[in-house]
Amino acid sequence: MRNTWLIIRREYLERVRTRSFLILTLLLPGIMTVVMILPAKLATVGNKAQHLVVVTSTPQFGEMVRQRFLEPAADADNEDEDNPDTNAAKKKSEQEYIIDVDSNPTEAERDVLRDKVSSKTIDGFIWLSDDAIASGKVTWTGRNMTYYSERTRLSETLNRIIQSQRLAKNGLSSADVDTLLKPIKVELVRMERGREAKGSGTGKLLEVVVMVMLLYMAVLLYGISVMRSVLEEKNSRIMEVLLSSASSTELMAGKLLGVGAVGLTQIVVWVVMASLFALPAMAVQPSFSDLQISPGVLVAFAAFFLLGYLLYSTLYAAIGAITTTEQEGQQLQFIVIIPLVLSVFMLAPVVRTPDAPAIVWMSMIPFFAPVVMYARIVVQTPPLWQIALSLLLLIGTIAGILVLCARIYRIGILIYGKRPNLPEILKWLKYAKA
Amino acid sequence: MASVQPPVVRSSNAAGIDTVAAAGTVELRNVCKSYGEFVAVDDLSLCIQPGRIYGILGPNGAGKTSTLRMIIGITVPDSGTVSVFGEPFRRAHMDQFGYLPEERGLYKKMKVLEHLVLLAQLKGLSGAEAHKRALSWCERFELTAWTGKKVEELSKGMQQKVQFIGAILHDPKLIIMDEPFSGLDPASAVSLKDVLLELAKSGKTILLSTHRMDQAEKLCHSICLVNHGRAVLEGDLNQIKAGYGFCNVQIKYDGDARFLQEKRLVESFNDYGNYVEARLAPGADTQELLKLASAGARLSKFEVMEPSLEEIFIAAVSKPAVGKPAGSKPNA
Repeated sequence: MRNTWLIIRREYLERVRTRSFLILTLLLPGIMTVVMILPAKLATVGNKAQHLVVVTSTPQFGEMVRQRFLEPAADADNEDEDNPDTNAAKKKSEQEYIIDVDSNPTEAERDVLRDKVSSKTIDGFIWLSDDAIASGKVTWTGRNMTYYSERTRLSETLNRIIQSQRLAKNGLSSADVDTLLKPIKVELVRMERGREAKGSGTGKLLEVVVMVMLLYMAVLLYGISVMRSVLEEKNSRIMEVLLSSASSTELMAGKLLGVGAVGLTQIVVWVVMASLFALPAMAVQPSFSDLQISPGVLVAFAAFFLLGYLLYSTLYAAIGAITTTEQEGQQLQFIVIIPLVLSVFMLAPVVRTPDAPAIVWMSMIPFFAPVVMYARIVVQTPPLWQIALSLLLLIGTIAGILVLCARIYRIGILIYGKRPNLPEILKWLKYAKA
Repeated sequence: MASVQPPVVRSSNAAGIDTVAAAGTVELRNVCKSYGEFVAVDDLSLCIQPGRIYGILGPNGAGKTSTLRMIIGITVPDSGTVSVFGEPFRRAHMDQFGYLPEERGLYKKMKVLEHLVLLAQLKGLSGAEAHKRALSWCERFELTAWTGKKVEELSKGMQQKVQFIGAILHDPKLIIMDEPFSGLDPASAVSLKDVLLELAKSGKTILLSTHRMDQAEKLCHSICLVNHGRAVLEGDLNQIKAGYGFCNVQIKYDGDARFLQEKRLVESFNDYGNYVEARLAPGADTQELLKLASAGARLSKFEVMEPSLEEIFIAAVSKPAVGKPAGSKPNA
């Protein structure tokens, strides 16, 4: 125990003290923020406000269209919530568009506008004469007609205007018109342990995806680190000195837990940083505050994340033990990555049918359990015995691999040169029992 | 300096071994070890007395390192037994070992002092005690200025000194060094040798392997000569030398050379006129030859040349019955 603790401390301090750890810990959230915000910013930076001309038969109708168009979109892509801050959205529309009204729907005017579009004085014009409306053939002429969403928005806006006009003509009051045309929203209600929970399916999926992302990142960053450190010890022969003081299992366990703690430290720092920045944002964005994560799920998150991380790190350590160079080790990496990738592929079926027998069994297999069982818990709490069994199998497998690995490690370390083949490894395992 | 003790018997006689086992710090009995097809150690037996410097000698690839690793418990013999401090190997013994591996191994990014403290702590020392001892040893090896530096900033020779300190910091009863002198400059080699002698005097048992016979000859009380994984010779160095068949005499003389014809004393000789190298007949007394020679000639030099280990090794290896050299038949 003491030896394991000494090794854990060495591995931990050794890594946490380096400059690269500090830089990665502080810089990565910055880089991530930039990566997420920059494309959105870039997309708007290049966009000047579009200058459009609306051509109608009467100025009143033109003004009406202009108003409606500048109003925020009755969103087609926001499926389940109101846009709370209409003013902000309106401002946004005003920044995007400058709309002039032209009440001279003649062919001559059309030519003039065409020339203006060609000479880039305006960006486009919308032909909304009464004739065009009557024949149902409204045109939007412009240089650049790739914006699908804008076209959809225009036709929806026009539909609403024209429908309300037609209804008004038939003698309905404007209040009645608004009631009639009020879009219908579908709200999702999910049952959770007999109670209605508000959180949407998307929110649940997010909980799973966050976990998978973190697991992925931790495994990729620190699993490799474990492998590299095993290789370093083999190549510098420090192992021989260590093995004359401690058992290989103690050394392996110490290494895994030490490097593991480094990864956890980093993730904790990131989560704290993220919540510091995200909390104010969540206050204004109710869609995120919907994400009520229950304490049970948090516990499951911690347990399956930690165990998954340990399991995959142990596999990396095993690779480090049987190879002699980093290049060789990286070639074998896919063996570790495959189960992780497979379990990500299974996420969609898990979320859809968490009770399907195949998925239940899948969530028992230790290599898939961290992702699949966790996803099941998030989507629909499975029977307790299943969770317990899955955890037990996971822990057992980690311990088993650790011991096997320590054996390979101990023998592999003393053998130089070529990578051992499978029969040789099996022989070592048998031999190293002593 | 060695107080001559009776040599250790290499014997397959079980009763004989039992009497030796009680005294030996390390004892190997009929140990075999192979890696795949390659036989590294073949039926090796040896016994190391407490408080002595014991050398395992042999050419490269003779099985020296494999033998050391089995003694430390890094590997396990395929057959045969290893016992340490009079009992079969146990993990608990490890803290009493100090091991210097052949290929040095230290964490390159760790600071010298921290590294030494870690190594000592792994052997059971408290942090404070390890710290204190590490500093005093660093002083002795003129490393004080380097204790705060990373290992990779040190020269190879200095790293080796660090490694050496790491091996003895916890005051082990048994010190095992694989080629301790390789890569050291002469001055460092001398200070390392001095430390080893001191440790031996203070009662530690020291086991070292080397392929340099001349070094072993100066330092070791007992040796085991290995070749192709087999012990060629084993036992007290003086006894081996004395027991080994031949003895050469170099004589510078002026006058009558008839003493060379005395077949009872001289087996063969090589005469250069007034200088001769003679090999004495088995059992001949050098004093008798001196008297005889000085009776007829003026001698300016009469030197008994002990066989060097190298000669013994070559002679032993070239004998057909490898492993049971007639010359080393001990007085069992």
